[in-house]
Amino acid sequence: MKNLINFLIRYSVVFLFLFLEVISFTLIVKNQEYQKSVFLSSSNVVVSGMYEWSNSIVEFFKLRTANDNLSEENTSLKNQIINLQNKLSTLKPERSDSVHFRIPPEMQYQFISAKVINCSTNKLQNYITLNKGAIDGIKVDMGVISDEGVVGIVKMVSTRFSGVIPILNPKSDISCKFKRNNYYGGLTWSGEDYRYANLTDIARHVELALGDTIITSGFTSAFPEGIPVGTIEDFKIKESDAYYKIKVRLAVNFRTLSHVKVVNFLNFQELKDLEKKSEQ
Amino acid sequence: MPTVLQNIFSFILLVLVQVLVLNNIQFLGYIDPYLYILFILVLPVQMPRWFLLILAFTLGITIDIFSNTLGMHAFATVFIAFFRSGIIKLFTNIEEGNNPTPSFYTFGVSSYIKYVVVMVLIHHATLFMLEAFSFTHIWILLAKIMLSSLVTILLILGIQSIKTK
Repeated sequence: MKNLINFLIRYSVVFLFLFLEVISFTLIVKNQEYQKSVFLSSSNVVVSGMYEWSNSIVEFFKLRTANDNLSEENTSLKNQIINLQNKLSTLKPERSDSVHFRIPPEMQYQFISAKVINCSTNKLQNYITLNKGAIDGIKVDMGVISDEGVVGIVKMVSTRFSGVIPILNPKSDISCKFKRNNYYGGLTWSGEDYRYANLTDIARHVELALGDTIITSGFTSAFPEGIPVGTIEDFKIKESDAYYKIKVRLAVNFRTLSHVKVVNFLNFQELKDLEKKSEQ
Repeated sequence: MPTVLQNIFSFILLVLVQVLVLNNIQFLGYIDPYLYILFILVLPVQMPRWFLLILAFTLGITIDIFSNTLGMHAFATVFIAFFRSGIIKLFTNIEEGNNPTPSFYTFGVSSYIKYVVVMVLIHHATLFMLEAFSFTHIWILLAKIMLSSLVTILLILGIQSIKTK
Protein backbone atom coordinates (compact mmCIF):
# COMPACT_ATOMS: atom_id res chain seq x y z
CA MET A 1 0.00 0.00 0.00
CA LYS A 2 2.80 2.35 0.92
CA ASN A 3 4.62 1.45 -2.27
CA LEU A 4 1.51 2.15 -4.26
CA ILE A 5 1.15 5.61 -2.72
CA ASN A 6 4.83 6.31 -3.31
CA PHE A 7 4.41 5.22 -6.90
CA LEU A 8 1.39 7.47 -7.37
CA ILE A 9 3.21 10.46 -5.87
CA ARG A 10 6.33 9.84 -7.91
CA TYR A 11 4.48 9.69 -11.20
CA SER A 12 1.75 12.20 -10.39
CA VAL A 13 2.99 14.57 -13.11
CA VAL A 14 2.78 11.83 -15.71
CA PHE A 15 -0.75 11.00 -14.59
CA LEU A 16 -1.72 14.65 -14.77
CA PHE A 17 -0.22 14.83 -18.25
CA LEU A 18 -2.13 11.75 -19.42
CA PHE A 19 -5.31 13.02 -17.77
CA LEU A 20 -5.13 16.40 -19.55
CA GLU A 21 -4.31 14.78 -22.90
CA VAL A 22 -7.24 12.40 -22.55
CA ILE A 23 -9.56 15.34 -21.82
CA SER A 24 -8.25 17.22 -24.87
CA PHE A 25 -8.56 14.20 -27.08
CA THR A 26 -12.10 13.48 -25.94
CA LEU A 27 -12.99 17.07 -26.74
CA ILE A 28 -11.50 16.72 -30.22
CA VAL A 29 -13.32 13.49 -30.95
CA LYS A 30 -16.62 14.82 -29.66
CA ASN A 31 -16.03 17.93 -31.69
CA GLN A 32 -15.85 15.86 -34.87
CA GLU A 33 -19.59 15.49 -34.66
CA TYR A 34 -21.88 18.29 -35.59
CA GLN A 35 -23.38 18.68 -32.15
CA LYS A 36 -20.74 20.93 -30.76
CA SER A 37 -21.46 22.43 -27.41
CA VAL A 38 -22.42 25.98 -28.15
CA PHE A 39 -20.80 27.04 -24.90
CA LEU A 40 -17.25 26.15 -25.89
CA SER A 41 -17.19 27.54 -29.39
CA SER A 42 -17.17 30.90 -31.03
CA SER A 43 -20.98 31.04 -30.82
CA ASN A 44 -20.44 31.69 -27.12
CA VAL A 45 -21.66 35.16 -26.16
CA VAL A 46 -18.39 36.41 -24.70
CA VAL A 47 -16.25 35.18 -27.58
CA SER A 48 -18.73 36.32 -30.22
CA GLY A 49 -19.02 39.66 -28.53
CA MET A 50 -15.29 40.10 -28.80
CA TYR A 51 -15.21 39.02 -32.41
CA GLU A 52 -18.06 41.37 -33.18
CA TRP A 53 -16.10 44.22 -31.63
CA SER A 54 -12.97 43.37 -33.63
CA ASN A 55 -15.07 42.91 -36.75
CA SER A 56 -16.66 46.32 -36.39
CA ILE A 57 -13.19 47.81 -36.76
CA VAL A 58 -12.16 45.66 -39.71
CA GLU A 59 -15.52 46.20 -41.40
CA PHE A 60 -14.95 49.92 -41.57
CA PHE A 61 -12.26 49.30 -44.15
CA LYS A 62 -14.53 47.06 -46.20
CA LEU A 63 -17.38 49.58 -46.38
CA ARG A 64 -16.47 50.79 -49.82
CA THR A 65 -16.72 47.43 -51.57
CA ALA A 66 -19.79 46.51 -49.53
CA ASN A 67 -21.47 49.70 -50.74
CA ASP A 68 -20.57 48.93 -54.34
CA ASN A 69 -22.04 45.44 -54.05
CA LEU A 70 -25.20 46.76 -52.41
CA SER A 71 -25.80 49.37 -55.07
CA GLU A 72 -25.23 46.80 -57.79
CA GLU A 73 -27.72 44.44 -56.22
CA ASN A 74 -30.11 47.33 -55.76
CA THR A 75 -30.06 48.15 -59.44
CA SER A 76 -30.62 44.60 -60.55
CA LEU A 77 -33.55 44.28 -58.12
CA LYS A 78 -35.06 47.50 -59.40
CA ASN A 79 -34.74 46.24 -62.95
CA GLN A 80 -36.54 43.08 -61.95
CA ILE A 81 -39.33 45.09 -60.35
CA ILE A 82 -39.79 47.13 -63.52
CA ASN A 83 -39.87 44.02 -65.67
CA LEU A 84 -42.42 42.39 -63.41
CA GLN A 85 -44.57 45.51 -63.34
CA ASN A 86 -44.58 45.56 -67.12
CA LYS A 87 -45.60 41.93 -67.25
CA LEU A 88 -48.27 42.46 -64.61
CA SER A 89 -49.82 45.38 -66.44
CA THR A 90 -50.18 43.30 -69.61
CA LEU A 91 -51.85 40.49 -67.68
CA LYS A 92 -54.40 42.63 -65.87
CA PRO A 93 -57.99 42.15 -67.02
CA GLU A 94 -59.38 45.09 -68.92
CA ARG A 95 -62.67 45.28 -67.09
CA SER A 96 -61.81 46.93 -63.80
CA ASP A 97 -65.34 46.80 -62.41
CA SER A 98 -65.63 43.00 -62.20
CA VAL A 99 -64.98 41.28 -58.91
CA HIS A 100 -61.65 39.65 -59.30
CA PHE A 101 -59.82 37.43 -56.88
CA ARG A 102 -56.18 36.87 -57.28
CA ILE A 103 -54.48 34.36 -55.08
CA PRO A 104 -51.02 35.68 -54.29
CA PRO A 105 -48.21 33.33 -55.20
CA GLU A 106 -47.11 31.43 -52.17
CA MET A 107 -44.15 33.02 -50.45
CA GLN A 108 -41.93 30.02 -50.02
CA TYR A 109 -38.64 31.60 -49.07
CA GLN A 110 -37.72 34.54 -46.92
CA PHE A 111 -34.26 35.90 -46.33
CA ILE A 112 -32.80 36.97 -42.99
CA SER A 113 -29.81 39.21 -43.53
CA ALA A 114 -26.83 38.63 -41.23
CA LYS A 115 -23.23 39.67 -40.88
CA VAL A 116 -20.20 37.40 -40.77
CA ILE A 117 -18.24 38.08 -37.60
CA ASN A 118 -15.72 35.26 -37.81
CA CYS A 119 -14.65 33.29 -40.85
CA SER A 120 -11.67 31.05 -41.48
CA THR A 121 -10.52 29.86 -44.90
CA ASN A 122 -7.09 28.38 -44.22
CA LYS A 123 -7.93 25.50 -41.90
CA LEU A 124 -8.81 22.01 -43.04
CA GLN A 125 -12.17 22.46 -41.33
CA ASN A 126 -13.46 25.98 -41.61
CA TYR A 127 -16.31 27.59 -39.73
CA ILE A 128 -18.24 30.85 -39.98
CA THR A 129 -19.97 32.70 -37.14
CA LEU A 130 -22.93 35.01 -37.85
CA ASN A 131 -24.27 37.81 -35.69
CA LYS A 132 -27.88 36.60 -35.83
CA GLY A 133 -29.33 33.74 -33.79
CA ALA A 134 -32.52 32.11 -32.55
CA ILE A 135 -33.96 35.53 -31.61
CA ASP A 136 -33.87 36.55 -35.26
CA GLY A 137 -35.54 33.33 -36.37
CA ILE A 138 -32.49 31.35 -37.44
CA LYS A 139 -32.79 27.60 -37.06
CA VAL A 140 -30.44 24.69 -37.59
CA ASP A 141 -30.19 23.41 -41.22
CA MET A 142 -31.09 26.69 -42.87
CA GLY A 143 -29.00 27.59 -45.92
CA VAL A 144 -26.74 30.64 -46.04
CA ILE A 145 -26.12 32.58 -49.27
CA SER A 146 -24.40 35.82 -50.16
CA ASP A 147 -25.00 38.11 -53.13
CA GLU A 148 -22.51 36.06 -55.09
CA GLY A 149 -23.77 32.56 -54.35
CA VAL A 150 -23.97 29.69 -51.87
CA VAL A 151 -22.02 30.00 -48.61
CA GLY A 152 -23.02 27.06 -46.38
CA ILE A 153 -25.52 25.62 -43.94
CA VAL A 154 -26.32 26.66 -40.35
CA LYS A 155 -25.28 23.97 -37.89
CA MET A 156 -25.40 25.64 -34.47
CA VAL A 157 -27.69 28.31 -33.11
CA SER A 158 -27.45 30.17 -29.83
CA THR A 159 -29.71 33.02 -28.76
CA ARG A 160 -27.88 35.78 -30.59
CA PHE A 161 -25.30 34.04 -32.76
CA SER A 162 -25.10 31.10 -35.10
CA GLY A 163 -22.39 28.86 -36.49
CA VAL A 164 -22.25 27.94 -40.17
CA ILE A 165 -20.51 25.02 -41.87
CA PRO A 166 -19.35 26.60 -45.16
CA ILE A 167 -18.59 24.81 -48.42
CA LEU A 168 -14.97 24.98 -47.23
CA ASN A 169 -15.43 22.12 -44.78
CA PRO A 170 -15.21 18.42 -45.57
CA LYS A 171 -18.44 17.93 -43.58
CA SER A 172 -20.45 19.99 -46.01
CA ASP A 173 -22.11 18.23 -48.92
CA ILE A 174 -24.38 20.45 -50.98
CA SER A 175 -26.48 19.05 -53.79
CA CYS A 176 -26.02 21.01 -57.04
CA LYS A 177 -26.70 20.64 -60.73
CA PHE A 178 -25.68 22.04 -64.10
CA LYS A 179 -27.65 25.02 -65.26
CA ARG A 180 -27.42 23.68 -68.82
CA ASN A 181 -28.76 20.15 -68.56
CA ASN A 182 -29.92 19.54 -64.97
CA TYR A 183 -27.57 16.64 -64.15
CA TYR A 184 -26.93 16.80 -60.42
CA GLY A 185 -24.12 15.83 -58.05
CA GLY A 186 -22.66 16.60 -54.63
CA LEU A 187 -20.18 19.39 -53.95
CA THR A 188 -17.31 18.54 -51.58
CA TRP A 189 -14.13 20.30 -50.53
CA SER A 190 -10.69 18.76 -50.59
CA GLY A 191 -9.09 21.07 -48.02
CA GLU A 192 -6.51 22.64 -50.28
CA ASP A 193 -7.67 25.91 -51.74
CA TYR A 194 -10.45 28.23 -50.64
CA ARG A 195 -11.27 29.13 -54.24
CA TYR A 196 -12.04 25.63 -55.53
CA ALA A 197 -14.23 22.64 -54.64
CA ASN A 198 -14.97 19.32 -56.32
CA LEU A 199 -18.18 18.13 -57.92
CA THR A 200 -18.77 14.38 -57.67
CA ASP A 201 -21.24 11.85 -59.07
CA ILE A 202 -21.36 13.19 -62.62
CA ALA A 203 -21.44 10.16 -64.92
CA ARG A 204 -19.16 9.95 -67.98
CA HIS A 205 -21.88 10.26 -70.61
CA VAL A 206 -22.75 13.80 -69.50
CA GLU A 207 -21.55 16.52 -71.84
CA LEU A 208 -19.44 19.16 -70.09
CA ALA A 209 -17.67 22.32 -71.10
CA LEU A 210 -15.25 24.54 -69.24
CA GLY A 211 -17.06 27.49 -67.72
CA ASP A 212 -20.41 25.74 -67.33
CA THR A 213 -22.42 27.24 -64.50
CA ILE A 214 -23.33 25.12 -61.49
CA ILE A 215 -26.38 26.03 -59.39
CA THR A 216 -28.19 24.58 -56.39
CA SER A 217 -30.59 21.78 -57.20
CA GLY A 218 -33.38 22.67 -54.79
CA PHE A 219 -33.61 19.06 -53.60
CA THR A 220 -32.82 19.99 -50.04
CA SER A 221 -34.92 22.51 -48.21
CA ALA A 222 -31.83 24.55 -47.33
CA PHE A 223 -31.57 26.37 -50.66
CA PRO A 224 -34.06 27.41 -53.31
CA GLU A 225 -33.29 26.16 -56.80
CA GLY A 226 -30.95 28.17 -58.97
CA ILE A 227 -28.58 29.88 -56.52
CA PRO A 228 -25.16 30.04 -58.24
CA VAL A 229 -22.46 27.80 -56.76
CA GLY A 230 -19.60 28.20 -59.22
CA THR A 231 -18.27 27.45 -62.67
CA ILE A 232 -16.28 24.51 -64.04
CA GLU A 233 -12.57 25.30 -63.93
CA ASP A 234 -11.23 21.93 -65.01
CA PHE A 235 -12.44 18.35 -65.45
CA LYS A 236 -10.72 15.00 -65.88
CA ILE A 237 -11.80 11.46 -66.59
CA LYS A 238 -9.66 8.34 -66.88
CA GLU A 239 -10.53 5.47 -69.22
CA SER A 240 -11.47 3.28 -66.26
CA ASP A 241 -13.52 5.83 -64.36
CA ALA A 242 -17.29 5.98 -64.38
CA TYR A 243 -17.45 9.49 -62.98
CA TYR A 244 -15.81 12.77 -63.84
CA LYS A 245 -13.41 14.57 -61.53
CA ILE A 246 -14.64 18.14 -61.77
CA LYS A 247 -12.90 21.15 -60.26
CA VAL A 248 -15.30 23.98 -59.54
CA ARG A 249 -14.32 27.62 -59.11
CA LEU A 250 -16.59 28.80 -56.30
CA ALA A 251 -18.80 31.82 -56.95
CA VAL A 252 -18.26 33.18 -53.44
CA ASN A 253 -14.95 34.67 -52.37
CA PHE A 254 -14.74 33.48 -48.76
CA ARG A 255 -11.85 35.82 -47.99
CA THR A 256 -13.99 38.92 -48.40
CA LEU A 257 -17.26 37.51 -47.07
CA SER A 258 -19.11 40.10 -45.01
CA HIS A 259 -22.89 40.33 -45.50
CA VAL A 260 -24.91 37.13 -46.00
CA LYS A 261 -28.56 36.07 -46.15
CA VAL A 262 -29.98 33.12 -44.27
CA VAL A 263 -32.64 31.27 -46.25
CA ASN A 264 -35.84 30.69 -44.30
CA PHE A 265 -37.95 28.04 -46.01
CA LEU A 266 -41.42 28.70 -44.66
CA ASN A 267 -42.82 25.21 -45.22
CA PHE A 268 -39.75 23.50 -43.80
CA GLN A 269 -41.57 21.72 -40.96
CA GLU A 270 -44.35 20.49 -43.23
CA LEU A 271 -41.86 19.11 -45.74
CA LYS A 272 -39.85 17.41 -43.03
CA ASP A 273 -42.93 15.80 -41.49
CA LEU A 274 -44.03 14.55 -44.89
CA GLU A 275 -40.62 13.07 -45.64
CA LYS A 276 -40.58 11.39 -42.26
CA LYS A 277 -44.01 9.87 -42.89
CA SER A 278 -43.09 8.58 -46.32
CA GLU A 279 -39.99 6.91 -44.94
CA GLN A 280 -42.04 4.84 -42.49
CA MET B 1 4.80 39.62 -7.22
CA PRO B 2 5.71 41.44 -10.39
CA THR B 3 6.58 38.29 -12.36
CA VAL B 4 3.15 36.76 -11.74
CA LEU B 5 1.42 39.92 -12.94
CA GLN B 6 3.78 40.12 -15.87
CA ASN B 7 2.94 36.54 -16.86
CA ILE B 8 -0.82 37.12 -16.54
CA PHE B 9 -0.42 40.18 -18.74
CA SER B 10 1.62 38.29 -21.31
CA PHE B 11 -0.97 35.45 -21.30
CA ILE B 12 -3.77 37.87 -22.16
CA LEU B 13 -1.67 39.76 -24.68
CA LEU B 14 -0.54 36.60 -26.49
CA VAL B 15 -4.10 35.22 -26.66
CA LEU B 16 -5.37 38.51 -28.09
CA VAL B 17 -2.57 38.75 -30.63
CA GLN B 18 -3.16 35.14 -31.63
CA VAL B 19 -6.94 35.26 -32.11
CA LEU B 20 -7.28 38.79 -33.44
CA VAL B 21 -4.21 39.09 -35.64
CA LEU B 22 -2.36 35.85 -36.35
CA ASN B 23 -5.44 33.66 -36.90
CA ASN B 24 -6.36 36.01 -39.73
CA ILE B 25 -3.05 35.66 -41.54
CA GLN B 26 -3.77 33.63 -44.62
CA PHE B 27 -0.60 33.77 -46.65
CA LEU B 28 -0.78 31.18 -49.45
CA GLY B 29 -3.00 29.01 -47.26
CA TYR B 30 0.03 27.30 -45.72
CA ILE B 31 1.20 29.72 -43.10
CA ASP B 32 -0.59 29.60 -39.78
CA PRO B 33 1.75 30.89 -37.09
CA TYR B 34 0.91 30.05 -33.48
CA LEU B 35 2.85 32.57 -31.45
CA TYR B 36 0.91 31.93 -28.23
CA ILE B 37 3.23 29.07 -27.18
CA LEU B 38 5.82 31.75 -26.40
CA PHE B 39 4.00 31.88 -23.04
CA ILE B 40 5.02 28.29 -22.28
CA LEU B 41 8.55 28.86 -23.60
CA VAL B 42 9.37 31.77 -21.27
CA LEU B 43 8.12 30.35 -17.96
CA PRO B 44 10.90 29.82 -15.37
CA VAL B 45 12.86 26.59 -15.73
CA GLN B 46 12.17 25.20 -12.26
CA MET B 47 8.42 25.88 -12.27
CA PRO B 48 6.54 22.85 -10.78
CA ARG B 49 5.65 20.57 -13.66
CA TRP B 50 2.05 20.00 -12.59
CA PHE B 51 1.48 23.75 -12.55
CA LEU B 52 3.09 24.09 -15.98
CA LEU B 53 0.73 21.41 -17.35
CA ILE B 54 -2.34 23.15 -15.90
CA LEU B 55 -1.21 26.49 -17.37
CA ALA B 56 -0.61 24.87 -20.76
CA PHE B 57 -4.07 23.31 -20.71
CA THR B 58 -5.72 26.62 -19.80
CA LEU B 59 -3.83 28.44 -22.55
CA GLY B 60 -4.63 25.78 -25.14
CA ILE B 61 -8.32 25.60 -24.31
CA THR B 62 -8.60 29.41 -24.43
CA ILE B 63 -7.16 29.48 -27.94
CA ASP B 64 -9.44 26.55 -28.86
CA ILE B 65 -12.58 28.35 -27.77
CA PHE B 66 -11.70 31.31 -29.95
CA SER B 67 -10.76 29.32 -33.02
CA ASN B 68 -13.44 26.59 -32.93
CA THR B 69 -10.94 23.74 -32.67
CA LEU B 70 -11.96 22.36 -29.31
CA GLY B 71 -9.18 20.28 -27.74
CA MET B 72 -6.55 20.50 -30.47
CA HIS B 73 -4.51 23.40 -29.13
CA ALA B 74 -4.96 22.09 -25.60
CA PHE B 75 -3.56 18.71 -26.64
CA ALA B 76 -0.54 20.15 -28.47
CA THR B 77 0.27 22.70 -25.76
CA VAL B 78 0.06 20.19 -22.89
CA PHE B 79 2.24 17.91 -25.00
CA ILE B 80 5.11 20.39 -25.32
CA ALA B 81 4.71 21.52 -21.71
CA PHE B 82 5.28 17.95 -20.57
CA PHE B 83 8.46 17.49 -22.59
CA ARG B 84 9.79 20.98 -21.89
CA SER B 85 12.04 20.18 -18.94
CA GLY B 86 13.52 17.19 -20.79
CA ILE B 87 14.32 19.34 -23.80
CA ILE B 88 15.87 22.05 -21.61
CA LYS B 89 18.09 19.44 -19.90
CA LEU B 90 19.11 18.11 -23.30
CA PHE B 91 20.43 21.43 -24.62
CA THR B 92 21.68 23.25 -21.52
CA ASN B 93 23.40 22.49 -18.26
CA ILE B 94 21.73 24.56 -15.62
CA GLU B 95 23.03 24.04 -12.10
CA GLU B 96 20.77 22.79 -9.36
CA GLY B 97 19.14 25.60 -7.40
CA ASN B 98 19.26 28.05 -10.27
CA ASN B 99 15.91 29.12 -11.66
CA PRO B 100 16.49 31.20 -14.79
CA THR B 101 13.86 32.32 -17.28
CA PRO B 102 14.72 30.87 -20.70
CA SER B 103 16.24 33.54 -22.97
CA PHE B 104 19.29 34.20 -25.14
CA TYR B 105 21.18 35.44 -22.08
CA THR B 106 20.56 32.55 -19.72
CA PHE B 107 20.79 29.68 -22.23
CA GLY B 108 23.30 31.03 -24.71
CA VAL B 109 22.30 31.86 -28.27
CA SER B 110 22.73 28.45 -29.92
CA SER B 111 21.10 26.45 -27.09
CA TYR B 112 18.20 28.85 -26.98
CA ILE B 113 17.61 28.64 -30.74
CA LYS B 114 17.72 24.82 -30.58
CA TYR B 115 15.27 24.85 -27.67
CA VAL B 116 12.80 27.12 -29.51
CA VAL B 117 13.08 25.20 -32.79
CA VAL B 118 12.45 21.81 -31.20
CA MET B 119 9.55 23.02 -29.05
CA VAL B 120 7.82 24.82 -31.94
CA LEU B 121 8.29 21.91 -34.34
CA ILE B 122 6.81 19.40 -31.87
CA HIS B 123 3.88 21.69 -31.14
CA HIS B 124 3.07 22.49 -34.78
CA ALA B 125 3.50 18.89 -35.92
CA THR B 126 1.12 17.63 -33.20
CA LEU B 127 -1.37 20.37 -33.89
CA PHE B 128 -1.52 20.06 -37.68
CA MET B 129 -1.65 16.27 -37.58
CA LEU B 130 -4.57 16.47 -35.14
CA GLU B 131 -6.27 19.01 -37.37
CA ALA B 132 -5.88 16.88 -40.49
CA PHE B 133 -6.61 13.64 -38.62
CA SER B 134 -5.40 11.63 -41.61
CA PHE B 135 -2.34 11.32 -43.81
CA THR B 136 -4.12 11.55 -47.15
CA HIS B 137 -2.71 14.99 -47.95
CA ILE B 138 0.68 14.28 -46.42
CA TRP B 139 2.62 16.80 -48.53
CA ILE B 140 0.26 19.63 -47.78
CA LEU B 141 0.49 18.64 -44.12
CA LEU B 142 4.29 18.63 -44.11
CA ALA B 143 4.48 21.91 -45.98
CA LYS B 144 2.07 23.48 -43.51
CA ILE B 145 4.05 22.20 -40.52
CA MET B 146 7.39 23.39 -41.92
CA LEU B 147 6.32 26.83 -43.18
CA SER B 148 4.20 27.67 -40.15
CA SER B 149 6.93 26.52 -37.75
CA LEU B 150 9.45 28.66 -39.60
CA VAL B 151 7.29 31.76 -39.25
CA THR B 152 6.54 31.06 -35.57
CA ILE B 153 10.23 30.47 -34.80
CA LEU B 154 11.24 33.70 -36.53
CA LEU B 155 8.54 35.62 -34.65
CA ILE B 156 9.60 34.17 -31.30
CA LEU B 157 13.32 34.76 -31.86
CA GLY B 158 12.56 38.27 -33.08
CA ILE B 159 10.51 39.13 -30.01
CA GLN B 160 13.08 37.58 -27.68
CA SER B 161 15.99 39.46 -29.24
CA ILE B 162 14.18 42.78 -28.80
CA LYS B 163 13.66 42.11 -25.08
CA THR B 164 16.46 43.55 -22.97
CA LYS B 165 17.97 41.46 -20.18
